[in-house]
Amino acid sequence: MAYHFDFIAVWEYREQLATGALHTLGLIAVGATLGVSLGTLGAVSRAWKIKPFDKIFTVYVEAIRNTPFLVQLFFIFFGLPALGVKLDEWTAAIIAMVVNLGAYSTEIIRAGIQAIPRGQIEAASSLAMTRAQIFRHIVLRPALQKVWPALTSQVVIVMLGSSVCSQISATELTYAANFIQSRNFRAFETYITVALMYLVLAFCVRWLLNKFGSHFVNGRKTT
Amino acid sequence: MMTEFTLWDIIRNLITGLEWTVGLSLTAFLLGGAVGLLVLTARIGRFPWLQKAMKGYIELFQGTPLLMQLFLVFFGISLMGIDVPAWLAAAIGLTLFTSAYLAEIWRGCVEAIPKGQWEASSSLAMSWVEQMRYVVLPQALRIAIAPTVGFSVQVVKGTSVASIIGFAELTKTGGMLANATFKPFLVFGLVAVGYFILCYPLSHFAMRLERKYRGSSSH
Amino acid sequence: MKSHAFPLGRTLATALLSVGLFATQLAHADVLENIKKSGVIRVAVPQDFPPFGTVGTDMKPQGYDIDTAALIAKDLGVKLELIPVTSTNRIPYITTGKADLVISSLGKNTDREKVIDFSDAYAPFFNGVFGPADIKVESAADLAGKTIAVTRGSVEDLELTKIAPPTATLKRFEDNNSTISAYLSGQTQLIATGNVVASAVDERTDKRDVLTKFIIKNSPCYVGINKGEATLVAKVNEIIAKSKKNGDLNKVSMKWLKHPLTAGL
Repeated sequence: MAYHFDFIAVWEYREQLATGALHTLGLIAVGATLGVSLGTLGAVSRAWKIKPFDKIFTVYVEAIRNTPFLVQLFFIFFGLPALGVKLDEWTAAIIAMVVNLGAYSTEIIRAGIQAIPRGQIEAASSLAMTRAQIFRHIVLRPALQKVWPALTSQVVIVMLGSSVCSQISATELTYAANFIQSRNFRAFETYITVALMYLVLAFCVRWLLNKFGSHFVNGRKTT
Repeated sequence: MMTEFTLWDIIRNLITGLEWTVGLSLTAFLLGGAVGLLVLTARIGRFPWLQKAMKGYIELFQGTPLLMQLFLVFFGISLMGIDVPAWLAAAIGLTLFTSAYLAEIWRGCVEAIPKGQWEASSSLAMSWVEQMRYVVLPQALRIAIAPTVGFSVQVVKGTSVASIIGFAELTKTGGMLANATFKPFLVFGLVAVGYFILCYPLSHFAMRLERKYRGSSSH
Repeated sequence: MKSHAFPLGRTLATALLSVGLFATQLAHADVLENIKKSGVIRVAVPQDFPPFGTVGTDMKPQGYDIDTAALIAKDLGVKLELIPVTSTNRIPYITTGKADLVISSLGKNTDREKVIDFSDAYAPFFNGVFGPADIKVESAADLAGKTIAVTRGSVEDLELTKIAPPTATLKRFEDNNSTISAYLSGQTQLIATGNVVASAVDERTDKRDVLTKFIIKNSPCYVGINKGEATLVAKVNEIIAKSKKNGDLNKVSMKWLKHPLTAGL
């Protein structure tokens, strides 16, 4: 009764796997861009106590960070239609990811902003820099620079977490795995293949963000 | 055959689900902590091949979705001819997941101890075990408490994924109730409240610990 | 020395051999024999598929499949252990030995027959496409441009994947809970499921109508059994035939489907 592994049965579905992987990358690309933007807004509101947004963001951050992503997703997809808000699976998945990453990056970026010495901002304003200039060059860029590794980790965590979006019929990578498994009944071979694909995706996303970080966030290098 | 669920029926069943969530979280956290300690020891120990192996272990679990890990444990162990019920598969999967993250968190804490202390203690002819026991761990432990408590929140939330392999914890109970009552908004709202009740005190505690530590170290 | 070592070696060899024998015996163990020995039969049943299996207010499964499982357990004189499964994982439950039988409104097709064995049919089942009154669909071709909720890996899923036009969108969900919730919350225009499931859902909710659009296929339910368990298959068939004859199964049908078992079954 020894089990015979059959990876050919998975290879036959390579197209589904490739599409799923692309969709997962698409989800995280949109989710990360919007999520970090939302997190930046939240971080600034909280760090500088901009009323009433600081309070709103505090409640939002606590609500999201203390409930599972899967439940947030189910609530948005299955629950919200009761209020007349009907979102398709992709919109629901992206909103859930943005809202989730937004909460975590609010806290991460806030730590970065708060680590910037007041003196630097004062010095910059004495140099007659505009508020926008101060914000961009003295606050945001150094803050992001400081927390970039933490932000990168969080983006990878959210990407891996997006595997549960398969549960609301979003055709990402895990959906492809479940689909294949329901057709070839080769659960183990399918899931091991897809787990390795996620490992590669996580590696690529981390590498890309590191590259991006050193080019844009860390600014023009003098070398 | 019409089955009418009262609000109390819903809450009563969700509380049962919540109890399973707590049980699974505790198991995963305690066992994960124990395994994590072993992984940590090997990761920072003196055997290079073991260090590499543990680095791989951590990267594997931090680089794949928890859902995949649970699927693989659930279906993989069964292939070896051993019957694993959903709760056991969930407990094993979450334990491995937790051990990888905790080992990595704790490694950061150990490495935060200045190199000079290792050198000083080795000049006192302390063995590696003694250095760990008397110099490094007592300090690392203090730094580690806050992020460890913080991670426990991730463990509690992670247990929700176990619903997908059919373990009737809080989220799974919610899914069943949402369908049996046709009230997904109410049911998933209550499920979210259930998790919040478990997680918020932990998050809050972790934050206070962190502040306390930061406060005392800056003096 | 040598005379001492020799018996030891032989004992070791015997021990290894017997372990080997034991292991092969385990692998070829007769499931029916195990059931009788342990006094418990483990049956995988649905809990999200009314009227075949749904949960009561105590969250315990109830329905046609559960009553059928009880009939089999009673006849075997063993205790019944119900394992709630979803339609996606019910076959792995059998192939990996997590359950002895799957009685989970399982339809038969050639792909499934490669992986597991089937008993004789124990319940009627017609799968089809259902929806609200205002959507006009009479055949698979009319599904063009429509969204349909379906449970992944179900017979409906496999059939629709073949016959639906390319512009139709099949939204596949993990379990019937999600499929039904998705349809009722309006996330899809139509739902593909069993005829009696649709009427059971329709009866229980006033949220959205679940009216028959067209029937895809007559796909009666069979008990699923792991490959190579001929004695168990024979025993289950014997019990099903007996319950059909003495009217026990008809009682189950009257209770859950509200009409007598058809003769063709």
